Amino acid sequence: MSSVARDRVRELMGEVMTAQGRSLPADDGAELRTIGFRSLDFSELALRVEDELGDELNFDAPGLRRIATVGDVLDFIEQLQTA
Amino acid sequence: MSESVPPASVVLVSGGSRGLGLAIVTDLLAAGIKVAAFARTVTPELTALASKYPDHLYAGSVDINDSPAVQAFVKTVESTLGPVDGLVNNAAIGQDSLHVHTSPERLEDIIQTNLTAPLVLTRFVLRRMLAKGLKGRIVNVTSICAQRGYPGLVAYSATKGGMDAATRSLARELGGRVLANAVAPGFFASDMSAVLGQTQLDQIVRRTPTGHLTEPEDVVPVVRMLLLDNTNINGQVLVIDGAASI
Ligand SMILES: NC(=O)c1ccc[n+]([C@@H]2O[C@H](COP(=O)([O-])OP(=O)(O)OC[C@H]3O[C@@H](n4cnc5c(N)ncnc54)[C@H](OP(=O)(O)O)[C@@H]3O)[C@@H](O)[C@H]2O)c1
Repeated sequence: MSSVARDRVRELMGEVMTAQGRSLPADDGAELRTIGFRSLDFSELALRVEDELGDELNFDAPGLRRIATVGDVLDFIEQLQTA
Repeated sequence: MSESVPPASVVLVSGGSRGLGLAIVTDLLAAGIKVAAFARTVTPELTALASKYPDHLYAGSVDINDSPAVQAFVKTVESTLGPVDGLVNNAAIGQDSLHVHTSPERLEDIIQTNLTAPLVLTRFVLRRMLAKGLKGRIVNVTSICAQRGYPGLVAYSATKGGMDAATRSLARELGGRVLANAVAPGFFASDMSAVLGQTQLDQIVRRTPTGHLTEPEDVVPVVRMLLLDNTNINGQVLVIDGAASI
């Protein structure tokens, strides 16, 4: 399976936030709670990545509950693509 | 006045190997009832019960989705313990995934295991009961999720709501010859709910007037009552959640 690169995922994450009138900080350590990136935003991002990938990235919620920072989001999407 | 339905004497418990199912099996055996239990894996706990109650417990390794194997198991139970006149539909699989990120195959698995298979098992057991002129009792283990919304449990909730609905129609259809009821527990600690984080568990406890999570021990006496007592309760879903959902 081909994959969507981390930088591109970051761009897509930025698009999700911009669409809501917010912006994505450059720092991977930024807290999702602080920047207002919620679980449905994560769903939207995952679906955008799926669109580029041409494949589904289905996953359970416990993994989702562990993500707290921007870097965690990028790691998690990376992990899903290699699973 | 029509005669009441006698207490069940041979009870089949699906998913009786651990969690609530094992607690139900243990309780019924202690009450002197003959019990048959199956799950895909027979646990050491169930094996220990089988040694303790060799004449009262028949346990086997069966996948509820394997209909011929389930039917063969029921027939063996009948020849070992006697005709089945009580059924507890307890086996189920859980879910912890948002609907949009749950694969269609996983949705099918959940519906197959939690709704289709118990309906097929119920049909088979009822056919055997009715053909033998027996009266009987059915208890479906559903969930508070059938009545209240919880994220991550869309398909699971649909199956539990389906079983609640089936319970009411079964009670009508069976004309009082078989009592059909359901118990709908709130969340309790088990392998199934192990996915819940501490924050979620704390939140459930905070919202529960009785101040604690439901435990299998809270559910067991209600199941026993529905199987054994003379109550005229029929077609009901009894919520056991300390009023968390009220
Ligand atoms: N835990 C909760 O918070 C909660 C709340 C409300 C309602 N409930 C309901 O309570 C019931 C018991 O749940 P639990 O928490 O005790 O679950 P559990 O600990 O996960 O046990 C489930 C039982 O079902 C069996 N099972 C699962 N799939 C099966 C299959 N394909 N064929 C045969 N047996 C199968 C399991 O054994 P194998 O895996 O070896 O097959 C096990 O014996 C379920 O109906 C559940 O929906 C649970």
